Amino acid sequence: MFGRSRSWVGGGHGKSSRNIHSLDHLKYLYHVLTKNTTVTEQNRNLLVETIRSITEILIWGDQNDSSVFDFFLEKNMFVFFLNILRQKSGRYVCVQLLQTLNILFENISHETSLYYLLSNNYVNSIIVHKFDFSDEEIMAYYISFLKTLSLKLNNHTVHFFYNEHTNDFALYTEAIKFFNHPESMVRIAVRTITLNVYKVDNQAMLHYIRDKTAVPYFSNLVWFIGSHVIELDNCVQTDEEHRNRGKLSDLVAEHLDHLHYLNDILIINCEFLNDVLTDHLLNRLFLPLYVYSLENQDKGGERPKISLPVSLYLLSQVFLIIHHAPLVNSLAEVILNGDLSEMYAKTEQDVQRSCAKPSIRCFIKPTETLERSLEMNKHKGKRRVQKRPNYKNVGEEEDEEKGPAEDAQEDAEKAKGTEGGSKGIKTSGESEEIEMVIMERSKLPELAASTSVQEQNTTDEEKSAAATGLESVQWNRPFLDMVYHALDSPDDDYHALFVLCLLYAMSHNKGMDPEKLERIQLPVPSAVEKTTYNHLLTERLIRIMNNAAQPDGKIRLATLELSCLLLKQQVVTSTGCIIKDVHLACLEGAREESVHLVRHFYKGEEIFLDMFEDEFRSMTMKPMNVEYLMMDASILLPPTGTPLTGIDFVKRLPCGDVEKTRRAIRVFFMLRSLSLQLRGEPETQLPLTREEDLIKADDVLDLNNSDLIACTVITKDGGMVQRFLAVDIYQMSLVEPDVSRLGWGVVKFAGLLQDMQVTGVEDDSRALNITIHKPASSPHSKPFPILQATFLFPDHIRCIIAKQRLAKGRIQARRMKMQRIAALLDLPIQPATEVLGFGLGSSSSTQHLPFRFYDQCRRGSSDPTVQRSVFASVDKVPGFAVAQCINQHSSPSLSSPSPSASGSPSGSGSTSHCDSGGTSSSSTPSAAQSPSDDPMTAEEPQPNLPDQLVIVNETEADTRPSKSLARSGDVETVNLSPSLIPTQQPTISLLCEDTADTLSVESLTLVPPVDPHSLRTLTGIPPTHTVDTVTLGEEAALPEPVGPSER
Amino acid sequence: MTYAYLFKYIIIGDTGVGKSCLLLQFTDKRFQPVHDLTIGVEFGARMVNIDGKQIKLQIWDTAGQESFRSITRSYYRGAAGALLVYDITRRETFNHLTSWLEDARQHSSSNMVIMLIGNKSDLESRRDVKREEGEAFAREHGLIFMETSAKTACNVEEAFINTAKEIYRKIQQGLFDVHNEANGIKIGPQQCISTSVGPSASQRNSRDVGSNSGCC
Repeated sequence: MFGRSRSWVGGGHGKSSRNIHSLDHLKYLYHVLTKNTTVTEQNRNLLVETIRSITEILIWGDQNDSSVFDFFLEKNMFVFFLNILRQKSGRYVCVQLLQTLNILFENISHETSLYYLLSNNYVNSIIVHKFDFSDEEIMAYYISFLKTLSLKLNNHTVHFFYNEHTNDFALYTEAIKFFNHPESMVRIAVRTITLNVYKVDNQAMLHYIRDKTAVPYFSNLVWFIGSHVIELDNCVQTDEEHRNRGKLSDLVAEHLDHLHYLNDILIINCEFLNDVLTDHLLNRLFLPLYVYSLENQDKGGERPKISLPVSLYLLSQVFLIIHHAPLVNSLAEVILNGDLSEMYAKTEQDVQRSCAKPSIRCFIKPTETLERSLEMNKHKGKRRVQKRPNYKNVGEEEDEEKGPAEDAQEDAEKAKGTEGGSKGIKTSGESEEIEMVIMERSKLPELAASTSVQEQNTTDEEKSAAATGLESVQWNRPFLDMVYHALDSPDDDYHALFVLCLLYAMSHNKGMDPEKLERIQLPVPSAVEKTTYNHLLTERLIRIMNNAAQPDGKIRLATLELSCLLLKQQVVTSTGCIIKDVHLACLEGAREESVHLVRHFYKGEEIFLDMFEDEFRSMTMKPMNVEYLMMDASILLPPTGTPLTGIDFVKRLPCGDVEKTRRAIRVFFMLRSLSLQLRGEPETQLPLTREEDLIKADDVLDLNNSDLIACTVITKDGGMVQRFLAVDIYQMSLVEPDVSRLGWGVVKFAGLLQDMQVTGVEDDSRALNITIHKPASSPHSKPFPILQATFLFPDHIRCIIAKQRLAKGRIQARRMKMQRIAALLDLPIQPATEVLGFGLGSSSSTQHLPFRFYDQCRRGSSDPTVQRSVFASVDKVPGFAVAQCINQHSSPSLSSPSPSASGSPSGSGSTSHCDSGGTSSSSTPSAAQSPSDDPMTAEEPQPNLPDQLVIVNETEADTRPSKSLARSGDVETVNLSPSLIPTQQPTISLLCEDTADTLSVESLTLVPPVDPHSLRTLTGIPPTHTVDTVTLGEEAALPEPVGPSER
Repeated sequence: MTYAYLFKYIIIGDTGVGKSCLLLQFTDKRFQPVHDLTIGVEFGARMVNIDGKQIKLQIWDTAGQESFRSITRSYYRGAAGALLVYDITRRETFNHLTSWLEDARQHSSSNMVIMLIGNKSDLESRRDVKREEGEAFAREHGLIFMETSAKTACNVEEAFINTAKEIYRKIQQGLFDVHNEANGIKIGPQQCISTSVGPSASQRNSRDVGSNSGCC
């Protein structure tokens, strides 16, 4: 066939596109079709290929030449398609044809082309063709075909599918027949089709949908959802040893799918469709099945019900997902104010009245299948009123309007009844308003306005009086009763978690009328003016927190976090915190308990520091998302402790010491953060390392007086660069000289020492392998090596020095952080360790001043406490000897740059907390230095280096000396802060004792023992070697090497 | 048509990255991409052979349905594999990968195999996203990575087949519960002789695999 379309390029089909895509070729294909009207074994491949080629030409024509459509239409070529289909030509041809049609309709982009294709109703004939739907492939292609068509629906094209006169809408009615198809992809496609149909704003079509299909479809859908819910409940009830979890999670996901689908329909905001749907959801599913199951489980006889946890869980999902105001408000009204025990009686009345009143509030199976209902509706006259016993008649609009309104009235009545007289006039006024809100949504803003006027007229005292009055009333409300009861449960937090979720979900629901929640004093998050809060609830929340901070507390982390959220929501207002002192005291008590709990684990685990930082990271990077929490089926089963279930850590109890430590750390973080927030204080101590405090690539540092070791860095891919290695207190960096300023360096790489691994290279004593991992940022990503390279040093001595500096730097960095954790936990501060000149005490020595930042604005106060000591000249004096020396000359009198060392932690808020280490530093007066001084601080030592001074900042040169003088007074007092001045201890003990907790024995033993004599020799190395290490004439101030004997 | 397993895939990514073209290229070779025609399809099925096992791939494109949250959510959940596609000539499609991935991780089963695909590799002159960037992204997020061209068919086979191999490997490791159809995996019906041929003739496919490989 393709042979005909000869191509000058050299034949072969595919290259001859010019000829294949032409009207002539279409004519030829038409000829082929006319010759083969009957499908046989022999010609079916030819036919399939012909149809495919026609499709290709049509798509080409759509983009290039519309004349092919004229021909297609003129010759009625669609008839051939239909003709082939009707010959029962087997699945192969069917599938091919459906796929071709799919491709055709999907790729047609011009409306007019589409009109051509749809114009003579053949497509509808294909839609209603009885395919063999038992074949999964045909089913898949068929439903995809319908989906493709539905994506083409709009106000114009809808007329090709919906026939107003015959009441036919095959695309829609054929599709919804598969709404409960066992294949999930088919169900999804059906939902897509329905949504695409509802989206079209065509009144006639939508009226048809509502009058003829809405009731059958929605009642069947609701029954389908409800059946799944009952199955879900069974799954929970019959579970043993968490064996049903797989199935349970599918059922939960299915329920969520349904809720999202319903919500998608509701937010299309097709009003009269929403009314029918809301009515069905409320009265056929949510109220009779979910809400009534909240009441005493023993009552209710035969009616279907689900267990309390399942009901709470599902209702939380409803409120988290669906925000359609009429629906959520009616639902909340019954939950919050309804007397649940009366509901059943009410239902019975409803049933008795059912002849007169169509809205039956019960969960029952539709009497007919959807297919049959559609069939029956179709045969009825367009305007004929349908009266069938079990379906609500929605043919008439008046009935519709009344449905929800009447419910609301009932609810309001109930509310009045239960509240009794104690609440007085205001209550009844409120319920009336709510009732009206449901009846006429359009009046909502008006009502809200009047409400606020009313509120303004009442004084605060009146309000709190009303509130206290409310509290006594609350105990009469079954829902709150149940809430408090669940929160009081001492054994576990199984129910408590669901209850908190439901409260959270209701209060965060955008469609919810805030008035409703305020009546139980559960303020919405956005509430502007709060003067009171629900004391009973708050007390229970604090009790949960207290319980969580106990060593054997049975509160899961998720429950605790949710409690914190809800408490904040209760008492934090835009202007401040309204928590009562007594409650704050209780909360502080809980926080104190959590501190005790973590102390117990401090240093209990070797990797405490990593856990501490990791927990903080995962807590801040993945804050609680209640919607996600309620998507997890695993919380439906009673809480367990074993990780073997695969349940997320925050949703179960800890197992083993490591997890107990993690849990304790988390509880501490949460309660600390809550406490700080309620007291209106900022967090200044956490995280231990902040991104903005760190040296980053492209930073320009003043490296005068710093110890730098020249090296060649060979990366994994063979790249080789010359760099200087510098070790800071928390970081190591690789720098290259700054061309514009002598003695300055540009950072090419910086990485945390604590995450570094150093190993020797077997056959090269001058080389080291260094790897730095970046901690995993999400549970899915692995720790990612940001540096993986071999470092080559000029000689083996320098290699040993580098290794020691890095290894000890690592220990020191980790130890500093541990000290800061100790300070957070109010543990006595461990003596500062004077390893390698990193000791805090050395900070004051001018001559050890390390990096100064050219780019000061970002880094803020550049934290010289740390850095000053960093580059103690190990090149000359390796090892611990330096540490000793630093102790010796760390005299405060030399401390011209120390203002920044002791500088205001809260003032600049950027770096100083990093090393100052104590909680006390947060309360250290920051008067000594304001953030604006920071740039100065770093440049202070410049008087020692006049030439640099000129280059860097000429204008400030003259002001500088006076400033540093002026500040020196403050310096010393601030320096006295206990957290900043370490107790001095013999260096040796620290080195021996503490290395174990951070460095592996192996990496330590790889360091050859330092022979003091060889070191002395090294000091005397001629200047040719010291060229590598930038020391710029500071030798005089450098400490003399100290032999081991001095230790 | 018999098969040992059926794997359901979804294709995700920004509009215009060539998702449906990739799908059509894979499922139906008869629509030659060399023609100056952009043709795509939203659904396709094809048989592949992995370790001597016949495996049917069923691929659902989610294009045009993004506005409905319920739909995307459900699709993710019902799939065993996902092709996450971006366009190497448009950086913004690469930048959006994170949010696509977040969605996928959130809604899908943790076992879902995700293949990252940089499409339109034929447009080297207009390249806006380096191959290394794609590789790095894939490595960081634990995805398989490939650059493809739906136009030249380069690597298209491999993309779908490698994903299938990975799913198959996970089945062998017991990570997937094959009896739970909600995972997007189905065990084939009882073996029976069938003479019918899929939408794309399988002999052609096997030949194409050979000729396509290594062109990128």
